[in-house]
Amino acid sequence: MIKTLRRVLLTIILLSVSTPNIFAADAASGDEPILDVMGTVADHDYVKVPGFINGGKIYLPRLILWSDSNGKTNFNAALSTKSFAEKTPFEVVDYALVAPEGGSIIIDFSITSHLIYFWLGMILAVWITVSMSNRYKKGVGREVEPQGAFQNIFEVLFVFIRDDVARSNIDDHKADKYVPYFFTVFMGIAFMNLFGLLPWAATATADLTVTATLAVITFFITQFSGTKDYWGHIFWFPGVPTWVRAILTPVEILGIFTKPFALAIRLFANMLSGKIMIIAILGLIFIFADIFGPVAGYGVSLFSVVLTVVLYALKVFVALLQAYIFTLLSAVFIGMAAEDHHHDEEHYNAEHAA
Amino acid sequence: MGLLAAGIGAGIVALGAGIGIGMIGKGATESIARQPEASGDIRGAMILTAAFIEGVALLGAVICILLALGIGQ
Repeated sequence: MIKTLRRVLLTIILLSVSTPNIFAADAASGDEPILDVMGTVADHDYVKVPGFINGGKIYLPRLILWSDSNGKTNFNAALSTKSFAEKTPFEVVDYALVAPEGGSIIIDFSITSHLIYFWLGMILAVWITVSMSNRYKKGVGREVEPQGAFQNIFEVLFVFIRDDVARSNIDDHKADKYVPYFFTVFMGIAFMNLFGLLPWAATATADLTVTATLAVITFFITQFSGTKDYWGHIFWFPGVPTWVRAILTPVEILGIFTKPFALAIRLFANMLSGKIMIIAILGLIFIFADIFGPVAGYGVSLFSVVLTVVLYALKVFVALLQAYIFTLLSAVFIGMAAEDHHHDEEHYNAEHAA
Repeated sequence: MGLLAAGIGAGIVALGAGIGIGMIGKGATESIARQPEASGDIRGAMILTAAFIEGVALLGAVICILLALGIGQ
């Protein structure tokens, strides 16, 4: 088991080292900038495949709902951006599809690289949980101790999420029904973050749409598990004079939305800035080589490569930490909403004195 | 102008976040030194509070990135 794992890891490392296309492939041509920082974190219509230096792109299907100049709504689908442009009056400008004159894109359903890695992360998370739960159903881990490194790691992570995240933040009798969500989100985000460390892969969590989707799910779970006291504290804060409520209520209503907003921004900005930092530091080599000649490039590479290795180690830690923080804060927010207040005396007295 | 604003903004954001997280670290290490048996709870609270500060700081950092790229002008 360990042997195969080691072999797979080694293969992955070799594959990722052999494809140094961290930058946009066509940087050499003409007056394009040396370094395309945003291009590496942006969403693309292809996924890169390891093992090829500049090629190795698999183009993804485009599905677009659009309206033409007469206001008629059309829906077109094609296997790649190029064939989409051939089939429809769309034109390709700077790798992007541009709607014909007078028309506009209503919704772009296209499958993109970030979406692919989002699916990959989520499918891996679901596959691990389902295959592990089958093992526990058979009795491995319940009647005998967990078998193999894989199940042991899984059990440690699961018990950690259940005890330290769910049960310590949510009332005991309610906590267990949220554990599946927390564990899936934790594993999914961790996988997406870790995939982003591969040079040819895309970081799905460095996309605001992905993190916003996850935050919106947390938002809805929070609202639906809100107790009467939760809503009471929002709309009619107990124990304060009525005129204060005029200030408090708007603030509390705003607070419902700012919490998941901060959740989404935190994960997004962390992964985005981490990736930009790596590219900027590696890019110093090429900027120096361009300005001062190749010798300076080699000189700077001694410094840049060492720093990048250290940053990569840090990023593995940050990838897991951010997944943990997202899960923990989701648990805190849900716990705050689902809490049963045992009407403590302070509130009660204040209510009745007023 | 956007680049200048982004540079100054990023500096101030780093300053604020640095002071905040530094104070959390100070508090946490002091309380762990005083009561080593509670280090697990303290570490959890430390990470949680640091995450809140980080959230605000990253909000500023995102705005700096938007300014530097000239998005929304």
